[in-house]
Amino acid sequence: MFSLQQSINIHRIVILSIIITTFFSCKKDLIPISGCTDITATNYNPDAITDNESCNYFSTTPYLIQTPNGFPEMDIPENNPMTVEGVILGEKLFKDPILSANNSLACINCHNQTYSFSDANQFSTGIENIQGTRNASALINLGWNNSFNWDGSATTLEEQAFEPVINPIEMHDTWANVEDKLNAESEYIQLFKNAFNIDYIDSNHVVMAIAQFERTLISANSKFDRYLTGQEQLTPSELSGYAIFNSEKGDCFHCHGTQLFMDNDFHNNGLDTEPFLDIGLSKITGNANDNGKFKTPTLRNIEFSAPYMHDGRFTTLEDVIEHYNSGGKYSTTIDPLMKKLGIGLQLTNQDKEDLIAFLKTLSDEAFINK
Amino acid sequence: MKLVNLHKTKPMKKILLIVSSFMLFSSCTKDENPVATQLTINFNQTINGSNLYLGCGCLDGSECLENHTCCLGSLPYKNNEGQEYSVERLWYIISNITLHAEDGTNNLIRDVQFINIDDPTTKTLIIDDLEDNNYTSISYTIGLDTNKNISNLYLNEDFHTDMFWPELMGGGYHYMKLEGNFNDEETFYNTHTGGTMGMDFSFNNSNTIALITDATTESVEISINMEVNNWYKNPNSITLTNDGIMGNIQMQAQLKANGADVFTTTIN
Repeated sequence: MFSLQQSINIHRIVILSIIITTFFSCKKDLIPISGCTDITATNYNPDAITDNESCNYFSTTPYLIQTPNGFPEMDIPENNPMTVEGVILGEKLFKDPILSANNSLACINCHNQTYSFSDANQFSTGIENIQGTRNASALINLGWNNSFNWDGSATTLEEQAFEPVINPIEMHDTWANVEDKLNAESEYIQLFKNAFNIDYIDSNHVVMAIAQFERTLISANSKFDRYLTGQEQLTPSELSGYAIFNSEKGDCFHCHGTQLFMDNDFHNNGLDTEPFLDIGLSKITGNANDNGKFKTPTLRNIEFSAPYMHDGRFTTLEDVIEHYNSGGKYSTTIDPLMKKLGIGLQLTNQDKEDLIAFLKTLSDEAFINK
Repeated sequence: MKLVNLHKTKPMKKILLIVSSFMLFSSCTKDENPVATQLTINFNQTINGSNLYLGCGCLDGSECLENHTCCLGSLPYKNNEGQEYSVERLWYIISNITLHAEDGTNNLIRDVQFINIDDPTTKTLIIDDLEDNNYTSISYTIGLDTNKNISNLYLNEDFHTDMFWPELMGGGYHYMKLEGNFNDEETFYNTHTGGTMGMDFSFNNSNTIALITDATTESVEISINMEVNNWYKNPNSITLTNDGIMGNIQMQAQLKANGADVFTTTIN
């Protein structure tokens, strides 16, 4: 056992030797380097001994989301606030085939702006020339969704963006490879530095940037929006369609209600009898009661985002209306909202035309052209 | 080590320590520091007094292993008209939940409560610090009254998209969505109540209770139960159909009238 005094002496010796070592190691820098000595600054110079007040600090420009009339506040994750720098980077990544294994396929190839950021093909084709079994979703007003993909497999946009990059039938890359490719590009190094103040690009920040860009894909300037604010009038046919849509005659609003034109929920809308080729939500929940249920898509820009349904089985809006008008097919998990099963909605040809005329008032030309 | 340190502490510090220990101990006695009363409100649902189960609802309450197989070809419940039925979805709104005290105080507990019986988090409401009083009655509104049943008023609530009621049918929100099968598994009813064409079909329920809370009361529990079969029973015996009733003023009025004996309140 050391006495207290002995212990203090030992400590003194250790500290002294550390100081001496430190001085010796600095011997070569005989002239003190001046620079930014604050470790939290972006231009921190670890060799600097004297501070020359040159420190720059990381800052970003907030990107303000304008909440459209009748929309809820967007739910933005606290750990990924919207910044101009993040959105610019996210847009570049979204459009850059660098995320795919052979640098041939970008997000935007299957989420084409012309089609409200969806694919006009029933199934998208990945880099290995393999097609999937679901239609690429339109990327529109995603910031108001609380789950993503037809089966709700992702609960945040950040989480969602991880998947297509490594999916063998989509971009078939690895995140390690994507990180290597991005870190080899000085432009990306600078953009990630600007957006997130990081020196090494990692997958987390890639998906954060993409998610930020996706949250800016807001469509709320359709003819219908202008009608609601009194700037434009609907035709008699469009108004008739609006009334059918919003009554239990057409009964569209129970799932496609509010200004979002979707309910953030999953339904079996009577497309198929059992057994289902695609079990949808239950693939994620493991609950047989969720068999054949899929996420309700928004009807905004529905005119641009054909084909329709999770598997893109319907090529026209007429086909879609005909499906609902038929009443649908029975299965054990069909939604009770499909209450005209076996009877049908009994819409006249005029009703159907009016419904489609109304659906087309949800088109936002500026959104697909900007 | 701590004991050794204590011995080394100076006498003044010792005294302070002892005094503060005494204060700590004395602060734990109930009469000097009142405890906060936690109020729990449970929203329960029964059919003929038994717990309601969604879907084919095994009558013993256990989960079905295979979808619908335990139904053995029949639906689990029967209404006043003798129709067999099941409940697949039950979402509803109770608002203005208020406790009334002997001294005339009205204590608003909850402005709007949305209940999805498939989501346990919506079936219990916990108020951490209920004001102590001698409560003699509880009142609440089934649905939303005219002041609250306004389109987009609850834009940022989760139930906004679930309960939305179209502007063309009066706007606001559904009071209730009660849906399922009747007669057979391929026939559906939608009992959707709300303010059809802007009319107020919400109604108040008031129950006498004896709920006295004081400084020593740690927790109290209230249950508000919906007896689903009573929606279809008295005074109007209702036959389920597959027609929507959202635009049906007469049906909305009948359901409102039937609602008088649907809800009961008990103190647990």
